Amino acid sequence: MLKVENIEKYYGSANNVTKALDRISFDVADGEFIAIMGSSGSGKTTLLNCISTIDTVSAGKILLDGVDISDLSPKELARFRRERLGFVFQDFNLLDTLTIEENIGLALSLTYTNPRSVQKQVQAMAQKLGITDILNKFPYQVSGGQKQRAACARAMVAGQSLLLADEPTGALDSKASKNLLEILTRMNRDMGGTILMVTHDAYSASYASRVLFLKDGRIFNELLRGNRERTDSYHEILNVLAMMGGDISDVI
Amino acid sequence: MTLSSLSMRNAKRQARDYLVYFVTMVMTAALMYSFNGLVFSQEMLNLGKMMEVLPMVVTIASIVVVCIIAWLVQYTTNFMLSRRSRELGTYILIGLENKQVAKMFFRENLIVGGAALIPGLLLGNLLYQGLRALVLSLFGKPFSFTLGFSPKALALTLCYFLLIYLMAQRKSRKRIRSMKIYDLIYFERKNEEAVIQKSSNRKKLSIISIVLGVIGTLLIMAGDLTLGLIGAGLIIAFLYGFFASFASSVPAYFEKHSEKKYQGQTLIVFRSLSAKLAAMGVVMATIALLFTATQISEGAGLIFRAMFESRYEQNSCFDLMISSGTPQEEAMAKGVEFAKERISEEYSREYNIYFREETQNTDVIGSYIAKKGDYYRYYKMDTLMKFSDYAALRKLLGYSEVTLEPGKYLIHCQPYIARILKDWSQTVEAGGSSLEFGGIYTERFAQYLWCVNGHGYILIVPDEIAEASVFSHRVYAAKTPEPMDGFYGELKEQISAVLRAKDYEDHNVDLFLYSRAEDEKETASEIATIVFPLYYLALALTMTAATILTIQQLSEADRYRRQFNLLQKLGMDREDMEKALRKQFAFFYTLPALPSLLISIPFLLNMCGAADSGSLVGASHPLILLGITFALFFFIYAIYIFMAYSTMKRNVLP
Ligand SMILES: Nc1ncnc2c1ncn2[C@@H]1O[C@H](COP(=O)(O)OP(=O)(O)OP(=O)(O)O)[C@@H](O)[C@H]1O
Ligand SMILES: [Mg+2]
Repeated sequence: MLKVENIEKYYGSANNVTKALDRISFDVADGEFIAIMGSSGSGKTTLLNCISTIDTVSAGKILLDGVDISDLSPKELARFRRERLGFVFQDFNLLDTLTIEENIGLALSLTYTNPRSVQKQVQAMAQKLGITDILNKFPYQVSGGQKQRAACARAMVAGQSLLLADEPTGALDSKASKNLLEILTRMNRDMGGTILMVTHDAYSASYASRVLFLKDGRIFNELLRGNRERTDSYHEILNVLAMMGGDISDVI
Repeated sequence: MTLSSLSMRNAKRQARDYLVYFVTMVMTAALMYSFNGLVFSQEMLNLGKMMEVLPMVVTIASIVVVCIIAWLVQYTTNFMLSRRSRELGTYILIGLENKQVAKMFFRENLIVGGAALIPGLLLGNLLYQGLRALVLSLFGKPFSFTLGFSPKALALTLCYFLLIYLMAQRKSRKRIRSMKIYDLIYFERKNEEAVIQKSSNRKKLSIISIVLGVIGTLLIMAGDLTLGLIGAGLIIAFLYGFFASFASSVPAYFEKHSEKKYQGQTLIVFRSLSAKLAAMGVVMATIALLFTATQISEGAGLIFRAMFESRYEQNSCFDLMISSGTPQEEAMAKGVEFAKERISEEYSREYNIYFREETQNTDVIGSYIAKKGDYYRYYKMDTLMKFSDYAALRKLLGYSEVTLEPGKYLIHCQPYIARILKDWSQTVEAGGSSLEFGGIYTERFAQYLWCVNGHGYILIVPDEIAEASVFSHRVYAAKTPEPMDGFYGELKEQISAVLRAKDYEDHNVDLFLYSRAEDEKETASEIATIVFPLYYLALALTMTAATILTIQQLSEADRYRRQFNLLQKLGMDREDMEKALRKQFAFFYTLPALPSLLISIPFLLNMCGAADSGSLVGASHPLILLGITFALFFFIYAIYIFMAYSTMKRNVLP
């Protein structure tokens, strides 16, 4: 469904250029769960922002279902984002002023869903993610893990097909992380969502069916999990990270 | 690093956030200094007798202004506190005591406030010069710019300033001292806390407050001072009650009709507004109150001014009038004699006014006017004037020549009475004959307030008819080609000499004395002492409301920016975002303006109604005065909203 072809991204002025992405290419098939790993500053967030149409590429093409997203007008891009993409970020996921239910319903109201059915759809989604009892609370009244689950609910509730997550477990402890990753896995397996997740953390990445490793804006390596156990793939990821060298201590 | 140097550095670094606070303090200092300058200016006091009350009036207005601005400064300080709560919380977190942080905050505010004082006083001096120029032009005196500070005005301004400052800081100090780190760090995160939870209470409150509002408005319109004060209290209660119940009824409404909120941009608009709903009720009511007070002081200023000016103009056709109802009044004779020495025959006229009949309630025309319009029957008898006197007076005043056919009479009246009399054509009995109606004239003719040439109207009849009627009073009227400086004082002295010799008490004398120059001075004094303080109040109120609204918007800007940023990522159309922002603005700015109109319109109309009939006509018709008041108010408001909206749009939309 997603095709990334030779994209490049530069930041800065003429005499002081940062090359954040350097000729990156890869494909994502329907229903895949992909993790993108790399050390700090390797370009993970930049890549995700380019795919999510929040940022534009300097060169290369991103095709979603055969459509080149750089051809779309801002209006079409907005429409594309609300209908096709779901977002989960490390922070600033939810609007402080809306209740959890409203935050999830927001995605539906943006796609002009019949207002009468919004509440029912939100309820159904919340049931699946186990957050029905916090629907009437405000974000500042719930835990970080609950917030992230609410963000996941919002990312899928309007039938979006591609879920983009930037370090969703970054601010969570191991138990909450595990819970969230299991939810992502379920969304991937049971609801047919395609997931692209950026992470620092080998444990999180081990839930993915494929892991891309970025270094200095390039794809350094790629791991396929196949039918292996999660623990096996976890060790393999650690090996690759060790091979990439340098800052392994900060990625475990 | 000492605490005071930390405060100093903070004040510098926070300059941008402190801008609102700073501007508020500058404006406050300027406003106070300029009006205090008037209080202590000998030049102003020398302008007229009535100007003696100016210091008292300005001081009273100042006390009101001090209270309003103290509240405003406290509000602004509170805003600063919330802006910096995270930072202050961090200080406590790293081991400073609450007391020390409070002290630091206090010192910072002192630095900013003190720094504002200097530009404020400079601006105040300019403003004072402007006020001086205005007052002097009212009195027809030349104005020359003089620089120089009045030490007394300075001292009083400092006094007020200190008072405002201490009143404002006391509260924030208490707040910081009792604050917990959690509260400080999570200050921004706090949102909705409904004031009234139960819907039945809410309904009761809104009904009660509306009833209070209606009663309050009626009481104010009753025109009695005590009732008016009670009415004002009720209206304040209404505003707060109404907005409190309104603020919490909105979330309640959407709870019941949850499908409504997922329509269009409703969710965003509603939640942005309801984010601080509980607090907003109070803010809204306060702003509504400020708007009401602004509109009323502005409108009252305009109405008073129109009343004073109209009264002056109605009589100003003559430069001098002496009149007495006693045929051979000695003091009058002396005055007229003295006047005749100075004013040549061609610029003056001595004549009698007559009554049509001796019995009371024989004012055919007066009772007709009173029945058809708003008119007070002062004489209860129709007044008459000889045609020869009338023709001479018209010539004196430079009006066109008129003729009176035998067997006819003319009416000379105020323009508003002419409108009431437009169908008038009756024959009138006077001096034993019937006279037919011959026409109406409406030039200015000293027919208002002192009723020298009739109250509002007079009949012009053939000379022999007047002579066969009853004597009312004798008049000496003059219109001089040049102003006669000092003449009036001498004339008064002459008359008093007669009175002293005869051992009269002043009020026992049947004598009326009018001097246009004196009246002009008096009118100017009235405007300076009544109208200017009202404008002062309106200015202070406008400033307060504008500052509060700005702070409201500023404190929301970050939240809005984050909100629209996320919404953009989630794929909201830019047009929809603009729509949402516009709706938010529309709600936020119309809500407080509406109830203020409901109160100030009836109040001002009632005030116009209390004015003498015929005084608010033409360009100072009540509707025109109200129109000007609200046009001015909404013009400024619209500019303000437009500026706020465009800044907001630029800053918060991605
Ligand atoms: N707006 C920007 N302007 C200039 N340079 C930028 C900008 N955003 C990112 N960069 C640079 O691009 C490179 C890639 O940044 P990116 O945020 O993608 O890294 P990352 O892999 O997400 O790092 P982290 O794991 O710390 O989040 C970095 O060198 C960064 O300094
Ligand atoms: Mg990143």
